Amino acid sequence: MNKQVTKQMVNIEINGKKLQVPQGTMVIEAADSAGMTIPRFCYHRKLSVAANCRMCLVDIEKMPKPVPACATPVTDGMKVLTHSAKALDAQKGVMEFLLINHPLDCPVCDQGGECDLQDTSMGFGLDRGRYHEPKRVLRDKDIGPLIATEMTRCIHCTRCVRFGQEIAGIMELGATGRGEHMRIGTYVERAVNSEMSGNVIDLCPVGALTSKPYRFHGRAWENIPIDSIAAHDCIGSNIHIEVRRNKVMRVLPRENNGINECWLSDRDRFSYTALDSDDRLTQPMIKQGDDWKAVDWPTALNYAVEGLKTVINKYDARHLGALVSPSSTLEEMYLLQKLMRGLGCDNIEHRLRQQDFSSDTASGAYPVLGLPVAELENLNAALLIGACIRKDQPIAAHRLRKAALKGANIMAINALDYDFNFPLAEMLVVSPADMLRSLAAICKVLMEEISSSEMPDGLSAILAAVEVNGTHRAIAHHLKSAEKAAVLIGTQAMSQNELAGIRALAGLIAESTNASLGSLSEGANALGAWLAGAVPHQGPGGATVENDKTAVLAKHLMACVLLNVEPELDCANASAAHDVVRHAEFVISMTSYMSENMKASADVLLPIAPFAETSGTLVNGAGDWQSFNGSCTPPGEARPGWKVLRVLGNLFELDGFEYLSSDEVRDELKVRCEGLELSPSGPWRCPSLDSGDGGLQRIGHLPMYAVDMLVRRAQPLQDTRDAIVAAIYLNAATAKRTGVANEDNVQAVQGSCSVSLPLVIDESIPDACVMIPVALEETSALGAAYGVIDLCK
Amino acid sequence: MKHFVQFMKSLFLLELLKGMNVTGRYFFKPKMTLRYPEERTPLSPRFRGLHALRRYPNGEERCIACKLCEAVCPALAITIESAEREDGTRRTTRYEIDLTKCIFCGYCEESCPVDSIVETHIFEYHGEERADLYMTKEKLLAVGDKYEVQIAQAREQDARYR
Amino acid sequence: MMAQQKKTQSKRGLISEASKAEIDRWIAKYPPQQKRSAVMAALRIVQDQNKGHLSNDLKDAVAEYLDMPPIAVYEVATFYSMYELEAVGKHKICVCTNISCMLRGSDEIVAHLHKRLGIGLGETTRDGRITLKEVECLGACVEAPMFQIADQYHGNLTPEVVDEILDGLD
Repeated sequence: MNKQVTKQMVNIEINGKKLQVPQGTMVIEAADSAGMTIPRFCYHRKLSVAANCRMCLVDIEKMPKPVPACATPVTDGMKVLTHSAKALDAQKGVMEFLLINHPLDCPVCDQGGECDLQDTSMGFGLDRGRYHEPKRVLRDKDIGPLIATEMTRCIHCTRCVRFGQEIAGIMELGATGRGEHMRIGTYVERAVNSEMSGNVIDLCPVGALTSKPYRFHGRAWENIPIDSIAAHDCIGSNIHIEVRRNKVMRVLPRENNGINECWLSDRDRFSYTALDSDDRLTQPMIKQGDDWKAVDWPTALNYAVEGLKTVINKYDARHLGALVSPSSTLEEMYLLQKLMRGLGCDNIEHRLRQQDFSSDTASGAYPVLGLPVAELENLNAALLIGACIRKDQPIAAHRLRKAALKGANIMAINALDYDFNFPLAEMLVVSPADMLRSLAAICKVLMEEISSSEMPDGLSAILAAVEVNGTHRAIAHHLKSAEKAAVLIGTQAMSQNELAGIRALAGLIAESTNASLGSLSEGANALGAWLAGAVPHQGPGGATVENDKTAVLAKHLMACVLLNVEPELDCANASAAHDVVRHAEFVISMTSYMSENMKASADVLLPIAPFAETSGTLVNGAGDWQSFNGSCTPPGEARPGWKVLRVLGNLFELDGFEYLSSDEVRDELKVRCEGLELSPSGPWRCPSLDSGDGGLQRIGHLPMYAVDMLVRRAQPLQDTRDAIVAAIYLNAATAKRTGVANEDNVQAVQGSCSVSLPLVIDESIPDACVMIPVALEETSALGAAYGVIDLCK
Repeated sequence: MKHFVQFMKSLFLLELLKGMNVTGRYFFKPKMTLRYPEERTPLSPRFRGLHALRRYPNGEERCIACKLCEAVCPALAITIESAEREDGTRRTTRYEIDLTKCIFCGYCEESCPVDSIVETHIFEYHGEERADLYMTKEKLLAVGDKYEVQIAQAREQDARYR
Repeated sequence: MMAQQKKTQSKRGLISEASKAEIDRWIAKYPPQQKRSAVMAALRIVQDQNKGHLSNDLKDAVAEYLDMPPIAVYEVATFYSMYELEAVGKHKICVCTNISCMLRGSDEIVAHLHKRLGIGLGETTRDGRITLKEVECLGACVEAPMFQIADQYHGNLTPEVVDEILDGLD
């Protein structure tokens, strides 16, 4: 790929067809654009040119020997023949060489049927082998739970090596040895550890790297690819769900240059493995005393309706509440809020990991990205706040990485020393309690040193006490001097107690540097949830709603409707959320999976379909409405969530629940959202900089493979190193100071909650902080994700 | 004249005698018919009868779940599901042929890279209900185990033409 | 994040101070952002420091010192035949068997070495003193057949000359 494409066009001729292509284009690109196929293995349009497979040899007039099309730039008047005798002869020869050491094990190879080598060999190879000597055999190495290797099949195209270096930004695979002894591998036994590693499966032109969860399960030709949208991050990667006999076999990326290009994160690729998890709920169930009874839908729905009516009659409708997963579809969220508001309550919430709702009074503050996904790579500077972007939104991280490699200044302020796979211009690791102070310091530089503009209300008072250091200055200058800049609030910051303050200061920074402000929101549909009105203070399409401004979970709820939520794992304050649900008199859990906790707290379990089995719409951070169809029917009695909600609406005899398809639901909402201005920030409210009482601060990191119900049950993902183990992580100095340095197990105490966990000394944790991940079974007895915590032996 | 010839023919029972002539000729000729099932015609080694799954001499099933037979089957009579066995090899977890769909074209046998699915010389099977004609992996392997000698012999005879 | 991944124990300490100084000399020859260009020199230096061979830990140490991914160092170390990945004897005899030497009788030299030392090509004597290695042309065809011991070329070899040289080794 030549990046310096000049405007100048040159005339060339390929197989007699006259073409005009930009100067600097490679012959293979020109041929591809004209729809002419040149066989290739090592060339990939998203990777650098290696020209080591020699398969794309073509005949160019006046050149004495065939030349590789992937590494030959076009010149004016060039005449290329891709099918002349000379070219075909060269290709045939290369093919024969490639097959010398390639085993003839297509029948047991998972790549069979979608193998570049098979196809190319059919098209360009000899019909019989002339090589009778023994073939090279390599021993396989275990490179993790996601990728199966069969290195004997490797043809050394080095696509996987280049992917690691250029795209994933971590060089873990390499080509060691030389000549016949060259092999691709990790050299020493170690797992490839990347959130994008699954892409090497697609890249590998042969069956050397294949998917481990899919291993030996199917053939490419029997799967039916169905267009869908990945449901685990706010990027909304486009995917193909491959289905066979009503079973999801695997998930592959679908090319969309505006969003995920041809890549896909491992989370989106392998989360399907949870679809046939053992704890799938396939029957509506109602609680009878202490026993659970499987019943038919009418019984379950009537039971649910009666239960809610009883609570409404006993208290009133304001004692109802609904919690919805931020990865639910737009239709589910819209119908659920319509149902709740129809019953007379506004208590619906999707921001389960958020603790600070004090900015809710303001209008706006939508969790938008602030710019199209593809634009991330054109930024000149970006400031990430509380973003473990590489793990939380791998595709966005890839775009930022491209920007960084082009020279953009990417900066981060995080509570933990997160890994980045690209160079950061500046990096601040501060305790969550000090995050506001750091942002204020940047504001101070911008306000006082750079522009000396007028300060918003109350800011000068808090800035007076803030100390500025070189890093703050550098961040401010980078943002100010950049032509295109962005300030992005990350997923990890969402749970912080000072979120409103962070938003306000980030907004101020963005405003005074002309940067765009955005959020890397949690779940796949946070923006959709806002549009659908799945927030207590705002109706669908931004309609204003009068309510009492208390957080839903802080209310005294007597009946709860849960939509794909496990409160003790999906909420920022795990134990508090669990308590709310446990103390409610009537709980309806619409869920794809059941758990012991759910059985203990719920009264009705309604089986609904996860993303692959329902139709719906997800709105990504950039505001793209992406609809998809269900790729297969849900197992047993499970039904798409929107249908269940529609029938519930009918049973409550509410108006406007006569939808026949999810499209009708979406279209109704779309009309209401027309012309809606999606502002990322609300009106200015000055935060206060009290940094608490200075005790130990908990950092409730959200592990990438614990974000939702589905991912938590995807076993291959849970086996990776990114599935963080529940433990108490803190640095040696802090451990010593708290007197727990020599313990194996330590008791973590938050108010009345406590849990005993193993102690791990980790020098990347800031001083006076304790990292205890959220969303894990073992830590679900603890309280707020951020805030003061005590450790004792 | 025509009527006269007709009259003479019927008078001397000429047609009847002609018929009796044929009857008599075949009466004394060696018999063509076989007394099935005591007697049987020879079958070509390529005869395509009931299916079987074969094993290697060491008892290991041959089938490696490549699914070519499933793909090539024009009647969609074959259903295969596969998975990795504990020893890491590729194996079928389900291999079924619906004989009520099968048209005995022999493509499955031809496509098999390991000579696992074969069509035997058995043509006189029956089922008392539809399910009996649904050949599961166990049934197919059992057929293979029982007739391995015959199957191997037929492959051997035909080997030079394959 | 997460200690296990990022903060693995440093292996820099495996490189001796003298070696570090020498590697620094090489690093200085390249632009500061091209530090990794010194990888070949660095590997040679630590190989000399480590009795003529490179361990995985040493390769990791070089990777850390030059700020490059370990696998990139492994690639270099396994590509060039003059980096030894396994322990070698005190004296490494590199016998050229390329065409000029072969025509001038390198087979005889190899056979003689085999007879004298009791080891084949690619093997080390049991006392760990001598390693025999087959190499491609060392560019000394003018005095073929030849071999190299340490940094010294020995040409115009005959079994007698070989014996003489071997006797001269400590």
